[in-house]
Amino acid sequence: MAEIAIAGRTYPPVTFQIAPERAAAFARAIGADPAAGVPPTFAAVYSLGVTAPQLFGDEEAAVDFARLLHAEQEFTWSRHPRPDETVTSQGHVASDISRRGMRFVTFETETTDGAGKPLCRSKALFVVRS
Amino acid sequence: MTQRSVTFTKEQIAEYAEASGDHNPIHLDDDFARTVGLPGIIAHGMLQMGLLAAVAADAAGGPDRLRRIYCRFAGMVVPGDTVTFTAEPAGPRRIELRAVNQRGEPVLTKSIAEVD
Repeated sequence: MAEIAIAGRTYPPVTFQIAPERAAAFARAIGADPAAGVPPTFAAVYSLGVTAPQLFGDEEAAVDFARLLHAEQEFTWSRHPRPDETVTSQGHVASDISRRGMRFVTFETETTDGAGKPLCRSKALFVVRS
Repeated sequence: MTQRSVTFTKEQIAEYAEASGDHNPIHLDDDFARTVGLPGIIAHGMLQMGLLAAVAADAAGGPDRLRRIYCRFAGMVVPGDTVTFTAEPAGPRRIELRAVNQRGEPVLTKSIAEVD
């Protein structure tokens, strides 16, 4: 099945509460101190993790999850969220390019706090092998 | 320079799957992983990046100081691999990061952190 280019596509915002025990379990899994607050890369959960499934579940986008590689990742923080904080993330497809039989999808997520102020920006490059 | 070596295990990868919510079977099920052309289960790229960021945070003087981190997932990490994560200050607000396996192959490349 030939996929359609989906650059520009934006998904509905997703709200997520950072459960302290979840952030602590994540810290232990990456060898960080659970008492040091929310680990920076917990953004893999509260930012990328809540929005990427919208892309993968988008039938029109036709991103073949089984052939998907996470090729690059960047997180940029204005500040780090605190345990128990509720954040809102919105994902969009920044680009969708096919080249030499591979598909390159750049997926960006903006995460804001309860006041609408920026917290984190995630930029993921996914490569789908054909 | 801040450095940490980690030998990856299936248990640790499963713990990260549970903590992150990323239950993609390529990280949990050897048979499934082989059906999609992998040698068996592989570690999450985000687990590698999490370990790298934890080392970067130590080098930066605390996780709150991290403002940006970037990496490329350049090589697969499988259970039994030992990866050495290194963070080295490279200017007032930059930390150069490396992640190299036991064969000397970089598994994360172009890795950089910025601090405030």
